[in-house]
Amino acid sequence: MVSETKKSKIDAIIRASRLIMRMNQANPASPKSEALYYKMLTSYYTCLLNAHDEGKFIAAHTVFFPSEILYAMDIVPMHTETTTWMMALFLGEQAEILSAGAELGLVPEICSPHRGLAGAFSLGALPRPDAMLWSNLICDNTAKSGELIMEINKCPGFYLDHPFQRSETEDKYFLGELEDMICFLEEKSGQKMDWDKLSKIVQRMDHQMELFREIGELRKTVPSPFPNRGFLQLLTTDYLCPGQPEAIEYLEALRDELAEMVRERKGAVSPERFRLMTLFVPPMYLMGFLEKIGQEYGVVSVVEPLFTRWAEGRLDPSQPLESVARKAAMIPERRSMYGPLGQEALQDLVDCAEQYKVDGAVYWAFMGCRHTCATVKLFKDLLNEVDVPVLTIDCDIVDPTINSEAEIREKMEQFFELLEDR
Amino acid sequence: MRALGVDIGSLTTKAVILDGEGIIASSVIASGDESEQSAGNAIDEALKQAGLKKDDGVFIVSTGAGGKDISLSQQSKSLTSCLARGVHRLFPSARMSIDMGAESSTVIKISERGRLNDWVNQDKCAAGTGIFLQQMAKLMQMPLDEMAALSLQAKGRADITSTCAVFAESEVISHVHREPPTPKEDIVAGIYYSVVSRIISLCKRIGIERDVAVTGGVAMNGGLVKILEGELGFAVLVPERPQLVAALGAAVVAQESIEKGISG
Repeated sequence: MVSETKKSKIDAIIRASRLIMRMNQANPASPKSEALYYKMLTSYYTCLLNAHDEGKFIAAHTVFFPSEILYAMDIVPMHTETTTWMMALFLGEQAEILSAGAELGLVPEICSPHRGLAGAFSLGALPRPDAMLWSNLICDNTAKSGELIMEINKCPGFYLDHPFQRSETEDKYFLGELEDMICFLEEKSGQKMDWDKLSKIVQRMDHQMELFREIGELRKTVPSPFPNRGFLQLLTTDYLCPGQPEAIEYLEALRDELAEMVRERKGAVSPERFRLMTLFVPPMYLMGFLEKIGQEYGVVSVVEPLFTRWAEGRLDPSQPLESVARKAAMIPERRSMYGPLGQEALQDLVDCAEQYKVDGAVYWAFMGCRHTCATVKLFKDLLNEVDVPVLTIDCDIVDPTINSEAEIREKMEQFFELLEDR
Repeated sequence: MRALGVDIGSLTTKAVILDGEGIIASSVIASGDESEQSAGNAIDEALKQAGLKKDDGVFIVSTGAGGKDISLSQQSKSLTSCLARGVHRLFPSARMSIDMGAESSTVIKISERGRLNDWVNQDKCAAGTGIFLQQMAKLMQMPLDEMAALSLQAKGRADITSTCAVFAESEVISHVHREPPTPKEDIVAGIYYSVVSRIISLCKRIGIERDVAVTGGVAMNGGLVKILEGELGFAVLVPERPQLVAALGAAVVAQESIEKGISG
């Protein structure tokens, strides 16, 4: 009998990832970090694929969930949104999973990764989780996803409630939520929290955030050494492997390679003509296209203020659970997607435009993320005030039926023309 | 060296020839299946009018839906950039322009130097475009000119949806067949208002800035322009031949290239 994890699409993701890793290893011109990134992905999904056969407990969780806790309890995490993206990216199976989502009554106006992940579970494309963990960080979709997935998989679940603001009372409340979740997981999985392990993970996570900041600093250089495809890789690293040795190994290699390129004054595109700020996330299935058009026109994305810029602050391994709570408040995406925007977030946008010497910005207005799209005008006006033109592209990050590559190319070419004519 | 701009649109192809003094010839022909052929015909017609031949030294810049892939031009430029140049040549005070073409509507912002500052377009649905108006004219069984004149006599306005061309069509049919039928002039005014409300929401997305010019074939529709002015609350600038503005802009780009010594 074929085990249920073997029936899933995880095996296909691993095969695709391993193939790219080997291609990178075989190519002497390919940076070492590329192979390490795919090694990290392969390892994550191999653990997931083998989890049930090895008697391990799988916890599915939504985005921005503190999976450090799962790693510390030897529970296998399954990042639901990212795994759906991976299926879209590597296997091109968006249509099938979105159609399955539609059969569950999820209309096209709902965030496509969430439609997709529900569809993927209903198709059996993802392994059956032993528990579902979800939260209100970062949106109503993440807050509402859990019950349906629990129902599909007939598994127990835990909802983690994040306060909007930070104060002593709210920090204490959130810490209580994390403690309750640990109790829930201990009861359901039979695994105990290993506090020493959590402390080590927190220490590495602190280093991981520092590596992000160092990489961000290196990208300020003209020409920028960081390729357009790197954005998705940074996101995936953070989402799948917080505080994991594979993530550190990849990020250190990447940082060293970028530092070397900066010393040699080498850019990711040559010649570098336009430096862009990326707002929100480009369609995942167009990463190859964005790399290509970047090379063609000498365009490089130098900063993603809403996604890869961790807020200031450090984590303290001697207070591991408090640090996990603190990290939740420092998540870059919180600035634009969770709670009020705040003057600090707006100022950061302006600072980024100046510090990264940005020529223009592209706002990927993901139609399924309506609350984020509410910032389009505000951000555009703000950047226009500092003489940064903004291109807004209405799109979907997973569903390719909303715009064609040709349509996006046309808009981007017009924008490059606008930048050139200034 | 003369500067020639050619705008290959989905319904018509336009060509404009400029020399140091201004426009010396222009042509408008129906677009065929092949962009190359349409561009060739429009260029030949304009050259004929100007008494020129291709080997007399002409720098050609192409634009429009089919402008990118033609071999006849030395350079191609986006429609939005050409519209900005064309509008600026005609109306230097214009800071915004609304282009209402056959298959899309585009709103652009123009800098003091006549460069494109920003743009927004709608090309997902026929609602708000020239083709939509043609379809409505068929439904109303009257030519576009007659519809435009009729709209000026409207005392009321039928409610017509602005979000979907197909739904709008059924609504018009229902107005025609209801008892008593909605007056034709009110239906036409409603059709125009549905187009205008879509255009206005596009304008608002990038912020309305005066002076505003209106270009493209639909700008020749006086009834629609009047409703647009009513909604904007001020008069707009309409060129004598609004359908030629993008081709004029392409010719301006060609002129700039000649001045810079670019050979294409």
